[in-house]
Amino acid sequence: MTAVALFQMVPLQFSHFQALLLFALIISLAFGTLGRRRPIERLKYAAWSFTMFLLVGVALGWLMYPFSK
Amino acid sequence: MLDENFAKQPDPPNDVASEIAAAPASAASDGLSHSKEARSSEFRGLAVGVIGWLIPGLGHALLKMWGRAIAIFLAVGLLVYLGAGMRGNLFAPGGDDAFTRLGFAADLGSGAFYFAARFLESGGADVSHADGDYGTRFLATAGVLNLLAALHAYEAARGRKA
Repeated sequence: MTAVALFQMVPLQFSHFQALLLFALIISLAFGTLGRRRPIERLKYAAWSFTMFLLVGVALGWLMYPFSK
Repeated sequence: MLDENFAKQPDPPNDVASEIAAAPASAASDGLSHSKEARSSEFRGLAVGVIGWLIPGLGHALLKMWGRAIAIFLAVGLLVYLGAGMRGNLFAPGGDDAFTRLGFAADLGSGAFYFAARFLESGGADVSHADGDYGTRFLATAGVLNLLAALHAYEAARGRKA
């Protein structure tokens, strides 16, 4: 196996919810770190942001559900 | 008598007059130094912003904001890695429509990681599945997040936000 092959990707597969979780987690942590200065405030903001991502994402999913048929 | 007293009184020190007399020179030198400082601060901010855009997190690292630097590097890196792994569409320059051009602008926002994603995604994009579509969003979000971080570093370098 060459060094190039090591860095080339194995295709990743996620469910819709797993993709949402990953996205929300990464973005929330970044938002928390960028938007607040103190560690506890960062954690609170990241947790709030993560929860909002999940709630709004799932709510939008259910709102669109009737149009998917 | 009145004239004598008036004549004996020493002139009060006219500080206002002396200040007014000295003001143009002092204001000019102050203005010049403020202008120099402002230009230097602006240049420093721009340099930090551009470096932060090219290498995610490096702008904050130059400002010794280590937590933010690591968080930005990891967040943008992870988003690019996952986006490329999900075979998201990485837009190329010279698109025909506005959507493609905007997509390219967003993708390019991740700086050097844009080229890393091109290298990682050797199999090309596959948006025929939901994963590929999500991957496209991950890649675009990585770019926009890095632009936001670069803007934050620019503001911090100018001393306007920290």
